[in-house]
Amino acid sequence: MNMMGKEKPLLSEITSEHVYHCAKCGLCLDVCPVYRETLVEAFSPRGKVQLAKHIIEGNIEITEHMNDILFSSCLLCGSCVAACPSGVRQDALFSSLRWRAAERYGLGFTKKLFFQVLAHGWMMSTSAWFGKWIRKIFSGEWIESRIKFGNLPIDGIPPMNPKPFNDEFPEIVEPKGVINARVLYFHGCATNYVFGDIGRAVVSVLTRMGVQVEIPKKQSCCGLPIFMSGDRKTSLICIKEVLGMFAREGVDAVIVDCATCGSALRNEYVHILKELHDLGEEVDEDLIKAAEYLASITMDVSEFIDAHFDWLPEFPPATSEKVRVTYHDPCHLLKGQGVGVQPRHLLKTLPNVEFVEMEEADSCCGGGGEYQIEYPEMSALITNRKVKNVLVTGAELVATGCPGCSITIGAHLPKDNVKTIHTVQLIQMAMDGKGSE
Amino acid sequence: MLRKETANKFREIVGKDYYLDSVEDLISYSYDSSATEAMPDAVLLPGSTEQVSEIMKVANEEEIPITPRGAGTNLSGGSVPLKGGVVLVLTRMNRLLKLSRENRYAIAEAGLINLELQNHVKKEGLFYPPDPASWTVSTLGGNVAENAGGPRGVKYGVTRDWILGLKAVLADGRIINAGGITAKNVTGIDLMSLFTGSEGCLGIVTEITVKLLPLPAFQQSIQAFFPQMDATSRTVARIIGSGIVPVALELMDKVVMNMVEDSVHIGLNRDVEGTLLIMVDGEEATCKQQMSAIIKICKEEGSSDIQVAKSAKEEDDLWLARRSAFGVMSRKKPTCILEDCTVPVSNLQAMIRGTSEICDKYNLTVGIMAHAGDGNTHPMIITDKRDKEEWERVEKAISEIFQLTVDLGGTLSGEHGIGISKKPFLPLIMNEDARRLMVEIKSVLDPKGILNPGKFIE
Repeated sequence: MNMMGKEKPLLSEITSEHVYHCAKCGLCLDVCPVYRETLVEAFSPRGKVQLAKHIIEGNIEITEHMNDILFSSCLLCGSCVAACPSGVRQDALFSSLRWRAAERYGLGFTKKLFFQVLAHGWMMSTSAWFGKWIRKIFSGEWIESRIKFGNLPIDGIPPMNPKPFNDEFPEIVEPKGVINARVLYFHGCATNYVFGDIGRAVVSVLTRMGVQVEIPKKQSCCGLPIFMSGDRKTSLICIKEVLGMFAREGVDAVIVDCATCGSALRNEYVHILKELHDLGEEVDEDLIKAAEYLASITMDVSEFIDAHFDWLPEFPPATSEKVRVTYHDPCHLLKGQGVGVQPRHLLKTLPNVEFVEMEEADSCCGGGGEYQIEYPEMSALITNRKVKNVLVTGAELVATGCPGCSITIGAHLPKDNVKTIHTVQLIQMAMDGKGSE
Repeated sequence: MLRKETANKFREIVGKDYYLDSVEDLISYSYDSSATEAMPDAVLLPGSTEQVSEIMKVANEEEIPITPRGAGTNLSGGSVPLKGGVVLVLTRMNRLLKLSRENRYAIAEAGLINLELQNHVKKEGLFYPPDPASWTVSTLGGNVAENAGGPRGVKYGVTRDWILGLKAVLADGRIINAGGITAKNVTGIDLMSLFTGSEGCLGIVTEITVKLLPLPAFQQSIQAFFPQMDATSRTVARIIGSGIVPVALELMDKVVMNMVEDSVHIGLNRDVEGTLLIMVDGEEATCKQQMSAIIKICKEEGSSDIQVAKSAKEEDDLWLARRSAFGVMSRKKPTCILEDCTVPVSNLQAMIRGTSEICDKYNLTVGIMAHAGDGNTHPMIITDKRDKEEWERVEKAISEIFQLTVDLGGTLSGEHGIGISKKPFLPLIMNEDARRLMVEIKSVLDPKGILNPGKFIE
């Protein structure tokens, strides 16, 4: 662990130099969802950057306590990155440290198994079986009333798709009439297994905009949950598969409907690959180039639709009363990809929507993927803040651009009153001239 | 390391969750926003004035250094535990205890964040003026300890001007109340002023009563760009000299502006030498009148481009840019040394010119920013503390900048406090008897010297 002597450096220079650019100004403290709840400096982004400095300089090792800090006090939401005036990439720093910490302390059996399943597409080939199995395990009144997935109440988690979304469509879905653009659709695991409706909405809206949608078969997981947990080796399997399938010339864009997958494709791959390359791991330059290319053509679905607003057919006038809708900024969409204006613009244009802004729309929902399962108490504190802000608006629907946020927020909203929905589903409903249902 | 028995006593007082001594926790309370770092032996996060009092009793008895800390955003090293011991963190004590609309005051615990107080009082149509750039995170207790200012200082002064009363724990654990809730109060020696700006060297402030104003009916900001720096600083002197009292009158040079624009992308003009960011508030008609007089002066001084904020969002963007200026300087080089030398506003032009010349002489990159309206300059020298040779040049330049300040009738600190970094320069500004008086006052309040030792009172 010590950098003295001939040992390999812990992190590559592109990552470690960040610690020296932290001015310790503290402007990351109030945007950090965990610091806001704990008010303890070691859990703040600034604290962890300073700890990273001591680790990189060899003053301290990655202790078990540090391992715990790295995982328990950070949702890797990137709020600190967005707020940092000095341009420090805390997310890159922390995710690299998690990698080293995981090498040292291991991942735990459940995580290991789960990541292998994701990375090797076992879910893909056996998905029908997998879906049934999951529902059998997590269903029934007795179980539902007693089991909680960390901070996630089981009865609040939406059911699995009866069959994977990917199996519902041919590989290429042609629009009617003129083709305005050709895109590849990366639908991610959430749409494939849980939110088939989102996938159908993406295809329906895009094709009606004259976009040819290609949905590559046997898509892999984006790898983000895997490398965010520090298992870079396994995540490389995913990254390589995604690059092979999607970093392709001759398409106008790669469309993503999940904020987290989008930020993986756009922000994370290049950094991870460069760092592994610099540290002498087996990553060649072509792979880095492919990642840079993919990052340059990837777009969030709301961003793409907004950029080609004139391709949208005119919406029929709203037939029912307007639905009150508020919008939650997924961290990985707003802070990771700078997409926040576009979904709001779209929502405000829809004839069936009355848009209302919530307080702290850009603050984290507390989900953080596995975070809510591993650290339910902290997650609950953060989620409660979000739910409170939603309820104050009196909205019937919370639009958002991330299935992960949808699950977390949706599971904690009072049933029957408020529901979560993807922005693109609302656009589809507007096209169909529908109200809330 | 604290003795085991001592540690246990502290644990009993604050509860085991709020006694921290892992190496990770110690490191994360070894710094603030200044360049100096030092490790404590333990970190305590008390939840009440009574707990602070109990802690002080033990610390005084056993002569353990106590360094109070809020969010740790101060720029002079005030919350760095130079002599080890305990860092006493007040962030958990963050309740707003009372807000009186009719008597226009608020009582808060020391850990309440400045902006949270601002937001609370705004809902009642009230206004708390001090607005340090760190206001989204810095605590009221820290603001009091450092006597913090902010851009609005031109019209509204520093924290001291807004304190009606304080509750403080003395070194031996006694709890005192100073001041009260009334608008006027001349009872006894002004203890509030004694504690405000004492940087945790005289006692631990745990509760603060602040004076509030009615929220101004209107505010407006403009940004004016100038082809020369001299014209920029001359404009400041002319505006202040004309009798207008703007809320804020901020100056940034080309270096700062370019780095800010790199960070926030709001379309700042990158090619001009200087810019002024000016805010007025009050009745709409008066504001508009003042603003047009200000714009006239800017034009006469050759301002090439004047932008008027047209919406609240545009106002926010302009001021966000200003508040992030310290952090953005670290983009180019890791270490940013930010001073806050303050001169009479008529000497601002000479101060800015002189600062640039000194930094040129030592071949250093400096960005100049100033709360120009009150003559408070913020030269920011960027360097890499790992580069020893350059660091020596930085130290020489800083000492010359302080001498220049004094020569121009100014003072070492307008709003950041003295802390560690400016301590050697105190003799430039306070004679020996004055400095000794500070030491004598401290020896009465803290005879064993346990409160924030190693700082400016020694």
